[in-house]
Amino acid sequence: MQNQLKVLICDDSALIKKKLKNILEVCKCKEIEEAENGVEAVQKASSFLPDLIFMDIVMPGKDGIEALEEIMREQPNIKVVMASSAGTQSHLKKALDRGAYDFIQKPITLEAVTSIIEKVIKGEKEDPTHV
Amino acid sequence: MFSQYFGHYLLNKEMITSEQLKAALELQKTTHVKFGVIAVDEGLLTTAQVEAVHERQKQQDKRFGEIAVELGFLSNEQVEYMLNVQKNNHLLLAQAIVDQNYMTMDAFSKALNDYKRMYSLSDESFEAIKNGDIDAIVKNIIHLAETEKQEYAQYLSLFVKNMIRFIDEQAYIELNPVTSELKVDWLVTQEIKGEELLLTAIAADEKIFLEIASIYAEEELTEIDELAKASVSEFLNLHNGIYLVNMSNYGIELDMEPQIVQQNAILSLDKDESMNITVHTSKGHFQLVLSKLPKHVVFSSANQENQAV
Repeated sequence: MQNQLKVLICDDSALIKKKLKNILEVCKCKEIEEAENGVEAVQKASSFLPDLIFMDIVMPGKDGIEALEEIMREQPNIKVVMASSAGTQSHLKKALDRGAYDFIQKPITLEAVTSIIEKVIKGEKEDPTHV
Repeated sequence: MFSQYFGHYLLNKEMITSEQLKAALELQKTTHVKFGVIAVDEGLLTTAQVEAVHERQKQQDKRFGEIAVELGFLSNEQVEYMLNVQKNNHLLLAQAIVDQNYMTMDAFSKALNDYKRMYSLSDESFEAIKNGDIDAIVKNIIHLAETEKQEYAQYLSLFVKNMIRFIDEQAYIELNPVTSELKVDWLVTQEIKGEELLLTAIAADEKIFLEIASIYAEEELTEIDELAKASVSEFLNLHNGIYLVNMSNYGIELDMEPQIVQQNAILSLDKDESMNITVHTSKGHFQLVLSKLPKHVVFSSANQENQAV
């Protein structure tokens, strides 16, 4: 599934970063960057300009919901997928209200990530305004 | 599942040795109680129907369940149920123990009845427990009878299910008296907050910490590095996250803090507001500590990392 997507992984867990990176490499994403927490994710959203971000929710310092809010304000074209073990009603509502593109319940699987990437690629082709 | 609990009951009553229990538990993995026997035992099929399925099996290379469905004797749901019973059936342990002459069938049956009496189990509860119903096991066997401890039952049931799902299908738990101080090589804690506060912690020695880390990371880890710490703490985070989702479905919204990993930690517990559970796995055991009053739990550590990994 060769694609031109630039993807940012934001998770405080070294294990999740490693596993997700392996999956994205299998999906042949063009560029993959990592962020340790919400603060770093906001910075990298501006400097790296990813097409897609996989964002954890529970993180020290700035959590994923706060980071999502800032990113959507500054870079509304970026698709932010929340990836968390805590897909509670309240988290889902907050994420959707702040413009999250999708939600993945951990443990993260190849199938879930592939399905998101396919959806993003398809959406990009259908969206003529996307640069 | 029940085999673990009943097997350790036999061990504690000195009816079998630990070597015999280990061998029997290993043996039962490769032992199968016949589908037909279970179907009759569960009252789903008559012996004549079982015979009819066997006759058809001689002509067709199909599984018992498939043919029983084709003949209209069982529904797919009933076959699913029987597969579950087959996997969890206490008869597996009985078969393994009796086959190896560790106990006679009579002695095994008597022990089973004594066990039922000891825990004051109703026929219905005992059936559920024998069939590996984790909720029933936690409720009846882990001594969660007192009201205040019932609150932990849901959390513990889910923890056992997640241990079996992600770490070790042989996992089982045992409730310990709470000692005021717990010294451990490695401690992973995570606080659940919201309407109900709960401090959750995995306390483990180096060996089992590394075993769990390797299993959850799906690679062999040989030292406790960032990845190993991240692996055990991610398992706790995953479990707590699933717990939050379950509670959210009951209308209780909770949140959680990032995990903290500490080495050489001392955990000071409030005896009245805490639970200390030993989680046994085929690779060793560790402690799961729960406390409703996180502020009353004091950690001290020579080498506090205080970081999420």
